[in-house]
Amino acid sequence: MKIDPIELAVFKSTVHSVAEEMGAALRRTAFSPNIKERRDYSCAVFNDEGDAIAMGDHMPVHLGSMPMSVRQAIDHVELGPGDVAILNDPYAGGTHLPDITMVLPVFADPIARPTFYVAARAHHADVGGQYPGSMGPCREIYQEGIRIPSIRLVKSGAIVRDVLDLLLYNVRTAEEREGDLLSQIGACRVGEARLHEVIARYSGKLPDLSRELLDYSERLVRAELAKMPAGAFAATDFLDDDGLTETPVPIRVSIRIDPHARQAKIDFTGSAPQVNSSINAVYAITYSAVYYVFRCLLPGEAPATSGIMRPLEVIAPRGSIVNAVPPAAVAGGNVETSQRIVDVVMRALAEAVPERIPSASSGTMNNLTIGGLDDRTKAQFAYYETIAGGMGARPTGDGLSGVHTHMTNSLNTPAEALEYAYPLRVRRYSYRPCSGGIGKHRGGDGLVREIELLSDAQVTLLADRRRLSPYGLSGGGPGATGLTVLVRPDGQHVLPGKCSINAHKGDLIRIETPGGGGWGSTR
Amino acid sequence: MQIAIDSGGTFTDCIYKEGGALKVLKVFSTPGNPGTAVMSAIRTISNGGKATVRHGTTVGTNALLERKGARVAFVTTAGFEDIISIGRQARANLYDWFAESEPCIVPPDLRFGITERTAADGTILQRAEEDELRDLAEKIRAAGAESIALCLLFSFANPGNEIAAANVLRELGLPLSLSHVILPEFREYERASTVTVNAYLSPKVGGYLQRLDDEMQPLSMQGAFEVMQSSGGIIPARFAAEQPVRTVLSGPAGGVVGAYRLALQSGFSRIISFDMGGTSTDVALIDGAQEGPRTIGDALVSQLPISVPMLDIHTIGAGGGSLARFDAAGIMHVGPESAGAAPGPICYGHGTQPTVTDANLILGRLHPDHFLGGTVKLDVSRTRSYMEKALGPLATPEELSGGIALLAEAAMERAIRVISVERGHDPREFTLVAFGGAGPLHACALAKALRMPRVLIPAHPGALSALGILLADTVRDYSKTVMLKSNVDLEPQFKELEKLVNAGTADSAIPSTVLRSLDLRYAGQGYELNVPAGTDFLETFHRTHQKRYGYADERKAVEIVSLRLRVTTPGEAVHLDAFAPGDGDASQALLGAHSMIFDGKVETGKVYQRELLEPEDRLIGPALVVEYSATTVLPPGWTGFVDDYKNLLLEVSQ
Repeated sequence: MKIDPIELAVFKSTVHSVAEEMGAALRRTAFSPNIKERRDYSCAVFNDEGDAIAMGDHMPVHLGSMPMSVRQAIDHVELGPGDVAILNDPYAGGTHLPDITMVLPVFADPIARPTFYVAARAHHADVGGQYPGSMGPCREIYQEGIRIPSIRLVKSGAIVRDVLDLLLYNVRTAEEREGDLLSQIGACRVGEARLHEVIARYSGKLPDLSRELLDYSERLVRAELAKMPAGAFAATDFLDDDGLTETPVPIRVSIRIDPHARQAKIDFTGSAPQVNSSINAVYAITYSAVYYVFRCLLPGEAPATSGIMRPLEVIAPRGSIVNAVPPAAVAGGNVETSQRIVDVVMRALAEAVPERIPSASSGTMNNLTIGGLDDRTKAQFAYYETIAGGMGARPTGDGLSGVHTHMTNSLNTPAEALEYAYPLRVRRYSYRPCSGGIGKHRGGDGLVREIELLSDAQVTLLADRRRLSPYGLSGGGPGATGLTVLVRPDGQHVLPGKCSINAHKGDLIRIETPGGGGWGSTR
Repeated sequence: MQIAIDSGGTFTDCIYKEGGALKVLKVFSTPGNPGTAVMSAIRTISNGGKATVRHGTTVGTNALLERKGARVAFVTTAGFEDIISIGRQARANLYDWFAESEPCIVPPDLRFGITERTAADGTILQRAEEDELRDLAEKIRAAGAESIALCLLFSFANPGNEIAAANVLRELGLPLSLSHVILPEFREYERASTVTVNAYLSPKVGGYLQRLDDEMQPLSMQGAFEVMQSSGGIIPARFAAEQPVRTVLSGPAGGVVGAYRLALQSGFSRIISFDMGGTSTDVALIDGAQEGPRTIGDALVSQLPISVPMLDIHTIGAGGGSLARFDAAGIMHVGPESAGAAPGPICYGHGTQPTVTDANLILGRLHPDHFLGGTVKLDVSRTRSYMEKALGPLATPEELSGGIALLAEAAMERAIRVISVERGHDPREFTLVAFGGAGPLHACALAKALRMPRVLIPAHPGALSALGILLADTVRDYSKTVMLKSNVDLEPQFKELEKLVNAGTADSAIPSTVLRSLDLRYAGQGYELNVPAGTDFLETFHRTHQKRYGYADERKAVEIVSLRLRVTTPGEAVHLDAFAPGDGDASQALLGAHSMIFDGKVETGKVYQRELLEPEDRLIGPALVVEYSATTVLPPGWTGFVDDYKNLLLEVSQ
């Protein structure tokens, strides 16, 4: 069947609005600050084969990995009408344990195969394990929290209570978890209801429309590749350390662009082996980072579908920092290593298309987790936030200051929301002057955030770019490295980028985030 | 006498009642000083007797959109000076490395901190020293600020520190916007932004309203001078001068209220208003079966959060001037780029890229000889020849035009879904009220796609906003963040809030109704639902949550985040008179025939002059109804009926 370009355009925006609507429902009903305030979640719509045909403008780090979750659910759970699958195993469709994904099949005909799938993924504030917030410096995945293979959480519309109880018994803030899980199921149902309208409207044309939408994304990528120079472009960048030793961890990439065949191979061979700490990235993360960079090279209206990756081959050696195997711990791979993979891919592309690539942004999410017993209520609490930094300068102008870049776009938690909910007091939230790299165009400045503890608590920091700066391009200077200071009555103590400490009531944590690299020489 | 005046970009529209009949006066706007047109209209209309003047103004809107407000000093708790610029630390475009952000309306040298602190429970942890406040006042004077926004952390929980600072800063003699007065609600960035926008607009809007008031005095009208708020309610001009942030959507709010009141008069209380202009389209849903016009508290205007109540108007950047193009992979896009006023659509004679207006001309849905009363002739052959160059994979200008119309309508449909389906309303239960230059062109197609049963094209489409302003109630909103458990006695809290009401409306003789409502959420959630503060508010909350978000949990604790009061004083009753019915035959208005294209098929339809139609006249699609400011399209299968108030009702024939 021939699909005309107008019908396709309408279909594209219809399915995209379904994903956006799911996201809005999730955000408005969730309990974790990570979901409701920071918006660390993603919702997407898939065709009957499990290919993503629409993804909300949520978290880029989930781009490539959402289809892998749906694939797992399709392959391992026989999903019927009214069922919802749940999973978080990073080695089978997940990213890191706090990201829990739900998959719901949508049936046009209850006795046939599903016509669509919808998925909602959200970052939960705690999934158990050794450290409150489940983002601590672990050595293996078993310490990081509960690991959920793809299983049924909802059967024929009813929650499978024993599965839910098993999950809730293994996390610190069970009531909040239950609320978030219900909210995710609600979001999937919102998507399901909307897709039934889509089915009524398009019926028999749906397979062709979905296929054409995927082909369309593919054509957009190929059109960009055709404009690029032929050749192999290589770059190396480093994570400061693995949190256990002080040795930098290299990530290496070689991008071979073939503009005639309109395809590219992105090869990470030569990157460091996986490490004994949590900064290992599973393949889904590496794949998502590559997906993100190429998505940014496309025009603004390009849909985020699985078709984008067809012309791109991603090679990541098994057992390396960019394709870890069990039992490696992986919590930090999702938030930190993912940013470095973007940095290194962009640096390599800057060799090919320098006018299209900005300098390195802050390159870390400055993950801060504070957990313990709230003196006021005698209840457990687990608070998690990420702090933005400077954006790399662009060939066209300065980088923005104090903004999340690349693989994350989570909001801050308002001080007035945070202080209601937790035994914490925000003392400062400001720009960090002069932290952006110098250059013809300046890198954006990072931020300074100070939080005072009103109860004893365990403070966990997972951050990078503390030793090695974000790079500048075309002669621009590097951005300033980040800094974390623990302020106590006995003085100030600089903390390493990756650590977990027992802090006391009255202690103050000051985090200064890295600036972006400058672009172009000042001369 | 009551006079309502709405300042638009081109015309200043007035509606007033004289000798029992509503009269319309249109004068050309004077964008340099909108007051000139307003005063000239008042002088024309005023008969020397007592008159109340109600005004919808774009002075604030334009100052905000064009970033031409005052030099604002932003004063907050020390350490938080940059929050007004950092915002929520997120970027607007996920995948665009080159996107720029609007510079903050407060430059870095105008951000000031005070060493003070209030805790979440209202305890004052630290008070500012008098000396520091004096120093601060001196710095603000030296920096050349024209207006001050004061927003201290947790000032809504205890305004003590904010009041102390205000007492010192007041001596500077600058307009002072206080966060605990304007928006005593939590979330510091959104509150700061609202207060800062208020400070940014207050010299300009305050000065403008004061000048108008001064100029009216010699006319010895002695009546009230009032202004339309974004919430759809009227406030005295002196309040608007103090809190101009409440007026940034004054004009569009008038349109929504006008659409609602006209529809109500014709017997339809559940409407979706659809106002499509040249560059943007506003849609809003009003459910008279529930609470009537609905306001939201988390609007974003020109990228800035404004958290005072505003009608829930959803705006998209697509209109008659939106440009069509094909991308590298062969898919067609309509908008967001627009041909604007210059060069405009191809058919006006200057543009070269196809727009939605051009598509309507090629499809025969605009008549080349009856545009703006025939004063502008639309160039069909010029349009065809430029379209031939922009066909992409399509074969003919007709095919291209059909696609453009379809995509534009799909964008409109999505906008309506956002305010209906996404908020738990079924569009099939609503009447589509279409206005603006392009609304009536697309209304039937849109109603069909959304399976809405009926379209209403209001009489006075050009002065609908002024009509809304004339008919609107006087409304004042009060709120306060409290963070309470759901089992506490709210009476003392509401009583406290009502003291503000008594202070604010002591001068009004007309009895007011006070509506209490609550912003609720399950304890631990981050967003609230607003429900009436009746005895059954918990049940209402669970039910609304289920409807909106797909689940509810009655075992969970519910938290009362904020209290709200809405004080409504009905406007002076203005009764619209019905017209005498005609003979049911529209032939007196018939201008001729015209060929049009629907679904790729050419059809011939009649063309009618709207102004000559009479009540009870019936029309059969395909047909066009042309009037000075708009053209209404009746596709095949639709029938039209002129009601007693000369509104045009369109329905699909059975």
